Amino acid sequence: MNGSELRLTGLTRVHGTGSAPALADFSLEVPAGACMAILGPSGSGKSTVLRLTAGLDEPTAGSVHLDGADLAGVLPERRGMAMVFQRPLLFPHLSVRDNVAFADRVRGVPRRTARRRAEEFLGLVQLDGFGDRPARALSGGQEQRVALARALAAEPRVLLLDEPFSALDARLREEMHELLADLRMRLDPTILLVTHDHAEAGALADGVAVLDRGRLLQAGPMRELYARPASLAVSRLLGGRTEVAGMVRSGVHRSPLGALALPRKVPDGPAVLVVRHEAVQVTTAADPAADAVGTVVRARRRGMRTLVTVEVPGDGGTAAVDAELEPGQEVPTGRTVGLRLPVEGRWVVPVDGVAVEPVAGAPRA
Amino acid sequence: MTAPRAVLAASRAGRTLLAGWLVLPLVPLLLWAFADRWTFPAVLPQEWGTRGAEEALAAGAGGAFLTSTLLGTVVALLATPLGAVAGRALASRQVPGGTAVLAVLLSPLALPPFAVALGLDVLLLRLRIPAAAGVVVLLLVAALPYTVLTMRAAYAAHDRGFEDEARVLGATRWQTVRSVQLPLVAPALAGAAFLAFLVGWSDYIVTVLVGGGQLTTLPLLVASAASATGSDAQVAILSLTSILPPVALLLVVGSLGRRGRR
Repeated sequence: MNGSELRLTGLTRVHGTGSAPALADFSLEVPAGACMAILGPSGSGKSTVLRLTAGLDEPTAGSVHLDGADLAGVLPERRGMAMVFQRPLLFPHLSVRDNVAFADRVRGVPRRTARRRAEEFLGLVQLDGFGDRPARALSGGQEQRVALARALAAEPRVLLLDEPFSALDARLREEMHELLADLRMRLDPTILLVTHDHAEAGALADGVAVLDRGRLLQAGPMRELYARPASLAVSRLLGGRTEVAGMVRSGVHRSPLGALALPRKVPDGPAVLVVRHEAVQVTTAADPAADAVGTVVRARRRGMRTLVTVEVPGDGGTAAVDAELEPGQEVPTGRTVGLRLPVEGRWVVPVDGVAVEPVAGAPRA
Repeated sequence: MTAPRAVLAASRAGRTLLAGWLVLPLVPLLLWAFADRWTFPAVLPQEWGTRGAEEALAAGAGGAFLTSTLLGTVVALLATPLGAVAGRALASRQVPGGTAVLAVLLSPLALPPFAVALGLDVLLLRLRIPAAAGVVVLLLVAALPYTVLTMRAAYAAHDRGFEDEARVLGATRWQTVRSVQLPLVAPALAGAAFLAFLVGWSDYIVTVLVGGGQLTTLPLLVASAASATGSDAQVAILSLTSILPPVALLLVVGSLGRRGRR
């Protein structure tokens, strides 16, 4: 199976006249064999992208190209895609094997051949020997594996994944991530993945497109978006915690944190400094290399590491900076510490006031 | 943990009562069916025999049984697909004024069938519609509320994601209906067909008024035998004949439904 190149251009979907578009002017290129993630909160229109790509809904405007061919008017079953939803949606009246054989059967492959191939794909998702079971007799993780095997057995040119692992517990999700990485190595499919979890996007995808309220905010390699978000909204969606408002003058950001030189030239004016908590180092208050000194006001354990919030008093108010400690490092609340903010970890975004709040009552992501 | 035991006992008692309620009326019927002589003070028939069955056959029970079966089957075959289509449309809420449409479809339940049949009889006569076709059309209207309601509930609980998934996997619209949608709603379809069959099977008023004597169904035969001074044994045999097929069908539909839920 070799994936195809997918190109989405100006995709727009308006559900009813007068309502805000579910998706507005969305463009994205997925190179053959790549995995692109669409990241956004619920109601951001990310599932709409998949439905339009699959042909389940018609775009109000825009086009879907697969290996250069326009798919306008092509029925879903003729697009050569396959989709895995958050719900496994295994056909309950069929056995596990016949679920996986479904795509072959509806294309007229003889039953015996289709079933033999189904067994191969069940082996690929490590479910050998499960073929005879009824689809209802599986656990949640197994169901989703079968759904993945069923989609892969269709030999899709593009595999569409709509939050396929969101309903699974953390350990199963990790297993599925490893399985998907393994399948990518073996089968090299083109994948378009929708998720609300930036860690999942980071773990699985080569690139990410951040979507909010139907609009594309930023697209690019995951690492670049982590380090150089285009806006506060993107920073927050990627789990950014530290935001310090201030002014930029000749490449230096001035705020309660003090004057911090920026790694790149940016225009003068008000700007918000964002620093990933993973990049901040906590040292002693006497450390001469510390960029700021403040008090630990909160500490939260996250497995081996601890996340602390440090309040730094300065001109015109206090700034709160989140930092992730080294494994095993402990800092009690109330202690005064020094903070090192590596120059490469500093970044400023415009003060745009566009806060990212989940859209209330939105039916689907 | 005494509560579950009490609940179990109550449930068992309830089911026994219900079974008794349904079966008890059948006991005298069964006794009468094979009683050649059963006069008042005796608790049980004095003479057993098959005279009732012979009389029933002589009165045309065989033909009436076939006519009733045919009528029920035709009504079920027409009302079930129509109910499925209407139920799906109403469940998807894509019908403008869906509530009004539903109200119209359900109206036969509220209107007195005698009045409707009498009124429409005149219309059907004027239109020169054959009596048998008229009976089928009226019974179809009477059966639709049951099939529409059953199928609307089934489609409301039906996840269209299954159909989206099938389409993306390469199934055409028709393949999706045949290999995904129909199997998923099969238990409801069987239930709807059963109800529609019963409407045709057990109808009396429409068959008498509109059929104009051309259709002799089991209910007609039972009624005429019961109102005439015939033998009670014959009436009992005819009544049993009209009860047993629906019971048999109900068992089949019930087992289908159980398999569908598993």
